[in-house]
Amino acid sequence: MVSLGMQSLENHFHIHLLGDHAILIKLSKGLNGGIDRDLLALAEFIKEQKIQGIKDIILAYDNLTLVYDILDFDSNPYLFVNQLVANFIADASNHNALNSASRLIKVPVCYDLSLGIDLEAAAKIANCNIEALIQEHTAHIYTVYCLGFLPGFAYMGDVPKKIQLPRHPQPRATVIAGSVGIAGKQTGIYPTDSPGGWQIIGRTPIKIFDKIKLSLFKAGDQVKFNPIDLVLFHELNNQEDVH
Amino acid sequence: MSIKIIKKGLSDRIVDQGRFGFQDLGIQPSGPMDFLSAQLANIILGNALNHPVFELHFPASTFEFQEPMFICISGANFVPVINEKSIALNTPIQVYPKDQLSFLQPLEGRTAYIAFKGELDVNKKWLNSYTSFQTTLNKEDHFSIKPTPLSDESVNSIEHDLVQQVQKSLFNEHEIRFIPGPAWNDLTPASIQVLMQQSFTIDAKSNRMGFLLEGTPIHLTESKQYVSSAVTMGTLQLLPNGQIIVLMADHQTIGGYANLGQIILVDLPRLAQLNNHSHFKLSITNVQTAHQLYRSIQSWFIH
Repeated sequence: MVSLGMQSLENHFHIHLLGDHAILIKLSKGLNGGIDRDLLALAEFIKEQKIQGIKDIILAYDNLTLVYDILDFDSNPYLFVNQLVANFIADASNHNALNSASRLIKVPVCYDLSLGIDLEAAAKIANCNIEALIQEHTAHIYTVYCLGFLPGFAYMGDVPKKIQLPRHPQPRATVIAGSVGIAGKQTGIYPTDSPGGWQIIGRTPIKIFDKIKLSLFKAGDQVKFNPIDLVLFHELNNQEDVH
Repeated sequence: MSIKIIKKGLSDRIVDQGRFGFQDLGIQPSGPMDFLSAQLANIILGNALNHPVFELHFPASTFEFQEPMFICISGANFVPVINEKSIALNTPIQVYPKDQLSFLQPLEGRTAYIAFKGELDVNKKWLNSYTSFQTTLNKEDHFSIKPTPLSDESVNSIEHDLVQQVQKSLFNEHEIRFIPGPAWNDLTPASIQVLMQQSFTIDAKSNRMGFLLEGTPIHLTESKQYVSSAVTMGTLQLLPNGQIIVLMADHQTIGGYANLGQIILVDLPRLAQLNNHSHFKLSITNVQTAHQLYRSIQSWFIH
């Protein structure tokens, strides 16, 4: 195994304690237009080690957090993670190749005005017509940067500049499950009925979160939205209800 | 049916020590607010530390039992009564069919736990946790519990020392200790001074998601956008208005606000027992001390 000096390690990653039972690994080069392949590979590498006492591995943008059980950690957590990252770097060539192909998930979305309740207002803000807005939203392939806010809620980006929309100043009390929204550079789908402030431009008939299959998305996935009409929306929606 | 809710409380639920391993999907662990009291109630009955318990806030639910079983109440003292007769905390209590357990007043603490000796119907299980997702107990809810006998050993050796130790660590005036986080160095020197000296007040809007702190506003040297990253229970987040929120058991998995630090595990139960409008001070510690303290607390529970 190649042993790397601290100097070289520091050039790749910053390691920061998050209190007494979590530790944050951050890419030194920062956010580079989406989730980083190196970070995905590092997460995969750590999972493969099956380290006793690591309870969660949470990826977001340019960083990765390990949550651990104190009772399983005799060693200094900072030094432990440093060594872990050094091992990864020494072994990195194998992992990059493995992870270069990420999943592409195609999500059907109905952009009917009855479901995309902010579409008209959103088109006005974006200074274009509704068709152009839908065209922009569906033409792009998005990356899942992280999941949070609610179980299964995936933050995806980047939304093309033209159709970046501000959040509602006052969040709605209820946004219906499946609603597709935009907030600034990010787009996402509400997995369950919940309060929310994003501009709602459409709705997907597929369930993106349930208690058996859990989340459709994970960090690093590629996502494309495919437009469907209202008839197909209801057909698919009914199928989902049966299952 | 073994336990039935006959009157709904403000915000009661079933919890165990939480579900981990799913935070990458946005699923929070949602364990107890005060893990020490939940563990104490369980150990007094001879249960596994992770056994499900009822977590109560005042005004708490009223329970009716349909089968004889043993229960134990720990944590906050809400003056528990069975059929209007007062019962002790931190002691196995035998209940009988038709017994009604209610709580009269919030005498001390914020969160109480009821452990029971028996097996909860496994249908309640989701992702290896009894914490049902964001649901509170309602009137008419009922729980199937197969009562199991109390071993003689656990009846005879109610550990007064253990109860004393836990009570002492929960209800005292000590500072709440934290380890500085990634955004600590972005604070103005004046704000660091405020953080270290001021007495914070727990805002009335606090709940299981977070405790909002009232105090002098805290400032960063420059307004800065942080890349979102994972947060834990005990994370001190700085809101744009200069207020601090301490994330608690139902925190989101990811946060985008300045992360000033995290309160150490052993001090979270004490914080969780503080009521709205009560005060506390913060102080800095380090990870070695935090680990030592946690190990020594967990060693209390080993026979």
